[in-house]
Amino acid sequence: MSETATSRLAIGARLEEVRRACDFVVEAAERAGLDERAIYHCQMAVDEALTNVIEHGYGFRDEGNTIELSCQATADRFVIIIEDDSPAFNPLTHEAPDPTEPLDSREPGGWGIYFIRKLMDDVRYERIGNRNRLTLVKHIPALAGARGSAPADATLFPTRDLDSQTAIVMPSGRLDSNNSPQLERTLEAQLSSGKTWLFVDMADVEYIASSGLKVLVAAWRRARDQHGDVILSGLQPRLVEIFETVGFDMLFHVYPDLDSALAARPAKR
Amino acid sequence: MVMEINVSEMRRVQLFEVIGRVDSTNATELGTAMDRAVDDGKSNLVLDLSGVEYMSSAGLREMVRILKRVKRVGGDLRIANPSERVREVLELAGLDSVFEIYPTQVEAVGSF
Repeated sequence: MSETATSRLAIGARLEEVRRACDFVVEAAERAGLDERAIYHCQMAVDEALTNVIEHGYGFRDEGNTIELSCQATADRFVIIIEDDSPAFNPLTHEAPDPTEPLDSREPGGWGIYFIRKLMDDVRYERIGNRNRLTLVKHIPALAGARGSAPADATLFPTRDLDSQTAIVMPSGRLDSNNSPQLERTLEAQLSSGKTWLFVDMADVEYIASSGLKVLVAAWRRARDQHGDVILSGLQPRLVEIFETVGFDMLFHVYPDLDSALAARPAKR
Repeated sequence: MVMEINVSEMRRVQLFEVIGRVDSTNATELGTAMDRAVDDGKSNLVLDLSGVEYMSSAGLREMVRILKRVKRVGGDLRIANPSERVREVLELAGLDSVFEIYPTQVEAVGSF
């Protein structure tokens, strides 16, 4: 396991300095071999973390304080450490905003921490002496396998076979551009193995973005071509709203829960 | 120069083309530019993000603030052509279903 040297940077606790820190992290992440998307995530997480420290930790009072950054890459992880001497503040104990809340009830701000947690694979806070230390970790995927294709051991959502043509698919979490490929692979694997009737139980899906909707439509088309169907159940109210907005409630058969979806399944096909 | 905003007045729409990097040092500049249009009675706004290489939550905050403002007066703020990365950030924030997002400037402008 080769380990690259740690690179370090100190910046003044001012917003104008954040850009320099971002450039520093981008360069270190490039050297570590992260892909463009992971580099963007690191840059944004550091930007948000520093902005928080400067705004809330130092309250914009520039008294010559410095914030120290270090980046280190190992074979499988890229680690960014941010240290400052502002009053103790653990950002991770602060409540994250709920992205599913309607716009009207959204408070501006409070997104920084939310993004840091979403963008990085691991985030830790420690108070060491009179310093805050925030550790941000991004995993570096193994280089094995062709670039751009899904790794062979890519995780799939859980499924359950009902018969040779029918399966239940149970996605969970947020179906956004991060997780939609997982749903796509899961549905593809089922369709390729001859399962043309797919019951997708959405009960544990808290959010769906356009990328997730696209995956569902593609699977629905393919199932239809093979005289099957994609049947949805258990949509949370927020998802129902999204489905109605884009007209998907007309496209898919949607049932309140998995049991009623299965009950409506044609007995003979 | 980190960020540039070009404002053009179309028949029914005020178009803002943003180029560069939107972060906490300049997001309010973007907000202020859009505020000025709303002050002038323009409430149909299109924000062309095709030239934005990077946007932090400070930029999103301004976009949401302006969206709320124009919605109150029956207008809208619509987004054109965000990069894949900016789109991902909009998705992470749950804002891709809050903003109407169009693949091109022409479609965004034509949507009004």
